[in-house]
Amino acid sequence: MIDDNHTKLAAVFSEALGVDVGTINDELSYNSIPEWDSVAHMALVAAIEEAFDIMIDTEDVIDMSNFAKAKEIVRKYQ
Amino acid sequence: MTQRLLDGKNALITGCTRGIGKSMLEEFARNGANVWAHARQLTEEFEARCAALSSQHNVNITPLCFDLINKDDMKSAVKLLQKSENRINVLVNNAGITYNALHQLTAEASLREQMEVNFIAPFLLTQHIVKLMLRHGGGSVVNVASSAALDGNPGRSAYGASKAALLCATRALSREVGLQGVRANVIAPGVTQTDMIGSMTDTVVNETVAGTDLRRIGLPRDIAGVAVYLASDLSGYVTGQVLRVDGGM
Amino acid sequence: MLVPSACKNTLPNTLESTLILNQKNAVITGCLRGIGRETLALFAEQGANVWACAQAADEEFESFCGELAAKHGGWVKPIYFDLTDNDAIKGAMRSIQMDKKPVDCLVNVAGLTRDALVHMTTMDQLRQVFDVNLFAQVLITQYLTKLMVRQKRGCVINVASISGLDGNAGQLSYSASKAALIGVTKTLSRELGELGIRVNAVAPGVIDTEMNAIVPRDILASRVSRTSLGRLGGPREVAGTIAFLASDLSEYMTGQVIRIDGGMN
Repeated sequence: MIDDNHTKLAAVFSEALGVDVGTINDELSYNSIPEWDSVAHMALVAAIEEAFDIMIDTEDVIDMSNFAKAKEIVRKYQ
Repeated sequence: MTQRLLDGKNALITGCTRGIGKSMLEEFARNGANVWAHARQLTEEFEARCAALSSQHNVNITPLCFDLINKDDMKSAVKLLQKSENRINVLVNNAGITYNALHQLTAEASLREQMEVNFIAPFLLTQHIVKLMLRHGGGSVVNVASSAALDGNPGRSAYGASKAALLCATRALSREVGLQGVRANVIAPGVTQTDMIGSMTDTVVNETVAGTDLRRIGLPRDIAGVAVYLASDLSGYVTGQVLRVDGGM
Repeated sequence: MLVPSACKNTLPNTLESTLILNQKNAVITGCLRGIGRETLALFAEQGANVWACAQAADEEFESFCGELAAKHGGWVKPIYFDLTDNDAIKGAMRSIQMDKKPVDCLVNVAGLTRDALVHMTTMDQLRQVFDVNLFAQVLITQYLTKLMVRQKRGCVINVASISGLDGNAGQLSYSASKAALIGVTKTLSRELGELGIRVNAVAPGVIDTEMNAIVPRDILASRVSRTSLGRLGGPREVAGTIAFLASDLSEYMTGQVIRIDGGMN
């Protein structure tokens, strides 16, 4: 299931941020690339919520500072 | 049939041939208002458009052509309007002109002309129409000013001042005639896609638009929508207000 | 040639219908009575579907919602939660999300007041008022605007008060919370504008509701005498401006506070 999440989440990141799936790894961080700025972060969170049918608390929205964290958070809500 | 927002409203809108006024005419017709559509000159095209709107929306759209700065023309037009069996209950002062110039480079003639067209003419027209509204139990006055009246933009001191004068007069009016059921409000558009912005450089327009919350330029229809609201009973307890329609400047 | 970028995201022209909220889905809080109730009714009349939020289950309210749905052809879904309970709010928002329908509009009406002069205002009262009038609204708005971001379109209307703009003796907590709500409105507009979400507020004046029913008549009369229109406002008149702000008529308005006060000076 962890692998499924990784692939699916990478696809969500790719679509929401407008970046190539190949560039997505655990270390990809908020504000490390121009595509992942504060405005994009909002859209990204909304996309993750829709894709996984979850509702993410504000604390976790703040905590979602990289792709690895995002996977953890998604797992937490499943 | 569902009631339309402006059913039973009989409105005079100035400056209907292009820009915001043209869009206002359409939106008012679509929402069920009868309109005396003012333009300076009667053209075949304008007459045809009024007729088309009348039949399309099952309302009466009547061209009413006169020069706003000619007091006698204005009086005759109002007399004509009075003869109609439809009683006027909405006035939209939309027509206006603009000449951008730095304060120190503003010619006196240009200053006076903008005050004449943008402030004095609507003031006098409002006097005529409010007199009728008071006799008939009420109405709504909608005056189109500008964000320039509030913000004092460089290059717009004369234009802004003329609109600020109109804004102030409208608010004072609202306090004088409120008890007799006449409301008066102001719309302050931001940067709107009309011929008027031809006097601003592309750079200035783009910068201003980039600075709005909505990140886009205003369209005539955006302003028309607010005028419909202020003319309608949706705004029945709203008077003396200035509504900025500027995409969040 | 400037191309208005928002036009690319505009839905088919809902203004074709004469109903100004045709097929819009709205969340309205505080629907049990007063302004919230009239807003619910007017929204349904104008073609909207509504998640109608109230504090606790109520038979009369349920049947009112059913009547509105039957009469106007849309759906009206009662949702109950206590504004002082963050978990309850989260649960309610989650249930809205799970309905899988686009959220077009949020109207934050719910609020209360604990009137007291400044030296009689306890810190507890102040916190209580802020809990319901500000913190709950912010939380609800956070959840629902996140959903709106998906369509890159939506709007929020916050019901503030002239009290928040002008101050009002005896209403320190209330006026402060409403002033804060206005600050939130403007900041949200700045942040969410580029995501296609408009945020505005209304500031009702002296309105004929239960909240004003307990105000001494002579004080009420003196406030009414300060209005240009010389009368109380009706809750339906407040609803009218809220409906306008939710509709496409106000598409280019954001970050604004509209006073619905009969022209108060």
